[in-house]
Amino acid sequence: MSTSSHTELPALARAGHAAHCKRCLSGLPGSQVEVDGARLALSFYCIGSLDLLGVFFEKTSQFDREEWREWIWEQHISGKYGTGFRPSPFMTTAGIAEGYEYTDYDTPHIIMTYTALLCLAILRDDFSRLDRTGLTTFIRACQREDGSFSTVPGSGEFDLRTLYCAFAISSMLDDWSGINVPRAVEFISTCRTYEGGYGQSPFCEAQGGTSYIAIASLHLAPSSFLPNGPLTPAERELTVNWLLQNQAPSGGFKGRTNKEADACYCFWCGAGLHILGAKEFVDKQALAGFLASCQFKYGGISKAPGEHPDPYHTYLSLAALAMYSPYTEGAEGNEATWQFESLDPLLNAKESTARWAREHIPARSIATTGHGVGVE
Amino acid sequence: MTSPADVLYADNPAWADVTPLPQYEGVNPLAPILYTEEYKDATDYFRGIVKTGEKSPRVLELTEKIIRLNPAHYSAWQYRFETLKAVKVPLEDELKLMDELAVKYLKTYQVWHHRRLLLTESYNLEPKRELEFIAKSLKADTKNYHTWSYRQWLLAFVNDGELWVGELDFVEEMLNEDLRNNSAWHHRFFVVWLGGGGGGMGVGGTREEKERVLRRELTFTKQLISLAPNNPSAWNYLRGVLDRTETPYGLILPFVRLYIVNLSDRAGSTDIVDVENPPPSEGAQLPCTAALEFTADAYERQGDDEGRKKAVELWKVLANEQDTIRKRYWEFRIRGVEKKVGA
Ligand SMILES: [Zn+2]
Repeated sequence: MSTSSHTELPALARAGHAAHCKRCLSGLPGSQVEVDGARLALSFYCIGSLDLLGVFFEKTSQFDREEWREWIWEQHISGKYGTGFRPSPFMTTAGIAEGYEYTDYDTPHIIMTYTALLCLAILRDDFSRLDRTGLTTFIRACQREDGSFSTVPGSGEFDLRTLYCAFAISSMLDDWSGINVPRAVEFISTCRTYEGGYGQSPFCEAQGGTSYIAIASLHLAPSSFLPNGPLTPAERELTVNWLLQNQAPSGGFKGRTNKEADACYCFWCGAGLHILGAKEFVDKQALAGFLASCQFKYGGISKAPGEHPDPYHTYLSLAALAMYSPYTEGAEGNEATWQFESLDPLLNAKESTARWAREHIPARSIATTGHGVGVE
Repeated sequence: MTSPADVLYADNPAWADVTPLPQYEGVNPLAPILYTEEYKDATDYFRGIVKTGEKSPRVLELTEKIIRLNPAHYSAWQYRFETLKAVKVPLEDELKLMDELAVKYLKTYQVWHHRRLLLTESYNLEPKRELEFIAKSLKADTKNYHTWSYRQWLLAFVNDGELWVGELDFVEEMLNEDLRNNSAWHHRFFVVWLGGGGGGMGVGGTREEKERVLRRELTFTKQLISLAPNNPSAWNYLRGVLDRTETPYGLILPFVRLYIVNLSDRAGSTDIVDVENPPPSEGAQLPCTAALEFTADAYERQGDDEGRKKAVELWKVLANEQDTIRKRYWEFRIRGVEKKVGA
């Protein structure tokens, strides 16, 4: 353990990062209009950051939390492709109570559905309103011939991200009946490249984000579908090697060979290594040093030093730190600000949140408690 | 498509027959966006259009307006595509617009997705024009992931022998500009080993052909390594080629060894330039980390104690001097083989 860089680590500006996320939750300027079709995902990064910082219940009011819960459930919509969550009502003209049914242009979205479930788990919702059967129908409606998943039913927009969401949702539901798993696994393998990482779709260059997605998906899938394990030993070795190669001398991770380090890849590559059991090889002091330099002076974390912060990079940086915290038991001063509760790398949520999801989302949770209200 | 940008649809008589539908927001929302008047107006009319199902030229104007305000509005793209099919607009017109938007919104997934759909639906596809367009947009952003993905998709989709052949020149051009462009290296691998650019490497191909391609690729890679030894993209490609063809790493150790010793240490050995084993360019930083790693792997694969011992020596250099950020990994590799030594 090197201790020289230890002492130089500045404080993690926890309050500033929490304030940045709270600000975004309360409203975004018109210049952020591109988020319109992904508001639930952005909300997840904000709520998730507060959760990782351990201040979610302390920094939000009971009143706000109730309203947010209601708003998220308003995005839970049922129709001809089944049930899921839409990104926001950006294509919606009336409330469900008014008999509104979704059209082909306002369907649930698979990425938003995954983030909505995690948001609700952070809010400690009991999931009594979740239409579980409708959810598996929806996942099935998103799977394509080649095993991949489209973002919304019938759209040709697909890549590995959507496949991961389908796997994560099925894992939380503890019900894989919505997926043709062998076909999906086959699709993942066509995205693997000679470098040891995975591209976004077949033939594409290895990239940190999609490599995490592939690795996590292969480890989420029930082992009965993977008789030879998620990866062969040789594949695993090459992948670990490539992921480690992405840690730059600055301590940050690159998303692709010969690119610049970027805060979000500290999570994507770091979580991939964690899942593959290679966590110990990451230089976490250097990683924290890089993320420290990505802190924006008025709160929030940006992709690289000197850039503007956003909830996406803030969340993923904190999630990376929850796996690779430089904090040592009993430390004081600046180092004490880097302490985190550990993270579930497969679902990308704080362990206690992931546990809540796994306890309350499966159908059996209703069977055992009557109304889906958890015993804990 | 000439309606002045500053006129709201609400004030435009040509749209008076459409009932604008405001967005439903319900309870106090999460992360609400303070929409501009222009965006609110356009999307109100868009929701109105979707409700009636109208698919007409003016819908193309409306969706273009929304896309220019928010290129990630996937519903506007989706509706636009369906409208294009319904009103039978010539594909070339739409592609021309996309040429402009692709450069403007280079990082937006939807721009490229829409283009893919257009090409898939088109009967008079001109892949050459597309490849030229992609080459041009890569000039603006040489590592853009969407652009490269689109090129790879297009080549696989068209799968035309002549197109494949031209790709090698294209890759070389890109690498001439930047030897460290990993997207270009990846593309080369795709073209030569998975696609049709390797002279039958992908499917079938005679033994002789395969050997010729392997030799060509090794020569090419070695040359680029000699120009810029500390380039992980080139080393990853080299390993990729050897793995793919199941060529033992040991076979190219005579080349790789040149990159782990200092020039002064091998005085006299460079009198005759061996074309198979080009030496590092003058002033190159040696030893080269990737070469140390490669050599250690080659030694380990020998499978005997002597090889393992040599590998350990190199890993020690990596752990303690050359690649200290991965110190724990190299120490793990050392422990892994030390258990086997003499066993
Ligand atoms: Zn990033």
